[in-house]
Amino acid sequence: MTLFIPIMYLVVFGNAMGGSLSHIPVGVVQEVPPYNDTPLFTNAAYQLNHLDQTDANKMLDVITYSDEALAKQDLENGKLSAVIVFPSAVSNDHAIRLYVDSSDSVTPPIVEAAVNEVLLAIGAQNPVVVDEIYGDIKYIQFFGVSVIMMAIFSATMFGGGMALIRDRENGIHEGYLVTPIKRASIIMGIISSGTVRAFIAGFTIFWIDLLVTGITIQSFQDFLLVVLVILIACIGVNSFVISLASRFSAQQEYMSLIAFFNMILFLTSGAFYPVIGMPDWLRWITIINPEYYGVHALRSIILRNQGFNVIGTDLLALLIFSTAMIILGIVTYRRTLE
Amino acid sequence: MSSVVPQVTREDPVLVHDIKSGRSENPAQSGVMLVRELDDRVADGTAIIRIDHLSKIFRNKTKTVIAVNDISFEVMKGEIFGLLGSNGAGKSTLIRILTTLLSPTSGNAFVNNYDITKDPEKIRAIIGVCPQNYTSDNELTAYQNLEFYGKLQNVPENILPDRIMELLNMAGLADRAYMPVSTFSGGMKRKLEIVRAFIHKPLILFLDEPTIGLDPEARREVWQQILMLNAERTTIILTTHYMDEAEKLCGRITFVDHGSLIALDTMENLRKLIPAGDLIEISVNHMDPLAEEAIRNVSLVNAVSVIEHNITISATNGSRVLPAIIAVFERYAIPIISISIRSPSLEDVFIYVTGKGLDGGNGNGCEAPSIDRRQVS
Repeated sequence: MTLFIPIMYLVVFGNAMGGSLSHIPVGVVQEVPPYNDTPLFTNAAYQLNHLDQTDANKMLDVITYSDEALAKQDLENGKLSAVIVFPSAVSNDHAIRLYVDSSDSVTPPIVEAAVNEVLLAIGAQNPVVVDEIYGDIKYIQFFGVSVIMMAIFSATMFGGGMALIRDRENGIHEGYLVTPIKRASIIMGIISSGTVRAFIAGFTIFWIDLLVTGITIQSFQDFLLVVLVILIACIGVNSFVISLASRFSAQQEYMSLIAFFNMILFLTSGAFYPVIGMPDWLRWITIINPEYYGVHALRSIILRNQGFNVIGTDLLALLIFSTAMIILGIVTYRRTLE
Repeated sequence: MSSVVPQVTREDPVLVHDIKSGRSENPAQSGVMLVRELDDRVADGTAIIRIDHLSKIFRNKTKTVIAVNDISFEVMKGEIFGLLGSNGAGKSTLIRILTTLLSPTSGNAFVNNYDITKDPEKIRAIIGVCPQNYTSDNELTAYQNLEFYGKLQNVPENILPDRIMELLNMAGLADRAYMPVSTFSGGMKRKLEIVRAFIHKPLILFLDEPTIGLDPEARREVWQQILMLNAERTTIILTTHYMDEAEKLCGRITFVDHGSLIALDTMENLRKLIPAGDLIEISVNHMDPLAEEAIRNVSLVNAVSVIEHNITISATNGSRVLPAIIAVFERYAIPIISISIRSPSLEDVFIYVTGKGLDGGNGNGCEAPSIDRRQVS
């Protein structure tokens, strides 16, 4: 374990941070009238869709829209990272409007650079007007939200999971294992206590995050959604950690494994860097990473003022994950001393 | 050892039979320690725990340990049953199997007719356990600890507060009910642990070394509690390596050594296992080998052991043979400093049948100085 963790840091950290962003979803649309595509629109859309990076990955995934409102709606719903609106008339005094998801502080400059590169290549000299749809969001604000998830995981490490192992190490579990309490009740009870601890930690860090980064919550509904996401994320992370702890008897072994998971789950959650910057094999981890869904949901509410229509998938994923982990925890929990 | 007191095996069907019939046999003749009639404290002849050729083997890559080796016996409803053995003898493993904390490697056991491997949840509902380890939550108060376990044991909410106070009074902890357990002394914690085990008035109570580490007064209080519970028809299985505790409390006692059942009987019958009826202990300033030989030849004397200035004589009837022994000392002009006659204690019996003391000695330091088994005729 001593060597394993640094090696994993090298592999995971090295790949999760600072990779080339690829397959950035971008919508392109032309103002109407006219209803026929202009050469500027056609050429620019084609060039944007075929921009390669040095590692041969396509930079942008260009989706052509016929309705500007629809494209902007997809941008607001998080399906797109940017929308490029080309003018109807091909002349230098008509600006190209670039709408970017500014809650992601890494992607917008890359998309803007790509648009300028393409315009230069096709000889168009239209100015590009950038509209940050969520305002000017700093990196600390982008990163700060994810620290809530880190607080939840840290509290979980020392909460329910550790309590379970300490009981085993000190023989305290002998006391309750001889009572008629069901295996499921033991696991659910430990998850509940761990969830309360983790929730207090996550909720406290949420307020500290607001104070430190200067973010403001737009509405009371957003506040309630944040509380809901923190709660469900706590259940998800706790059930995962406790399903692991249910098989361990020594704190040292448990802590080594949990430290490893803390690292890999936080790095692949998109906390530091957008997930689309990670290699494909690492992106797969995000699919089963509860922290990814937690970070995404919290950013959607806190930074983008989005609601259930966007975070619904995240909540569903967290609930499915939690259920699977609770079942795993119950099934693997040793009801005896063996 | 096995040639002296063979363990009970499947080929010994008399075990169960004798529990029910109360028949007594001479172990020397049958070669088997038989279960005999129960004393007054055994209130019911119905078996509440049946153990049939139970074994537990722990294995890892380098070692195999037979913790319980083919043990069979029964515990009667309403009795206080003592499990005695040195440290590591297998007592706690046996208790853990019966309380569903460990599964047996082979054999069967039934608690109130529930199979320990098939109906563990039903067994947990009718037992109370005071484990050897300290298992209460230090951060909670005494009341909260009892409340927590009361809820785990499904004690009805409406009677739980009264029951908790009743138990705290019983343990002498009522004035500390709302203090964190971390502030309690070892004895207070132990008493709390014991009363916690019977918060739900279990049918069977397992007490694993309940008085370990307690001062004499606290031990007596615990004994009182155990006897009170037993008076309410609770069957109690007690493991201990305090002989006086077993003698005072237990109706029947079993000796466990190296995972095997060595003997099982009432205290009175276990004493009969030692061929000599009484032990005469004499202190002198010096001892003459000729005098020792002369004592050995006295009628009714079974064995003589001399260790430094102490002579221990086992005799069939101590008071009758004593004048003849004193006459030997007078004949050889050996002044006697002190004389005592006593019946063999449970510890003497244990040492006799296992060859070691209850602290797990191998005979060097713990073997009975009073009885040299090799000399027993």
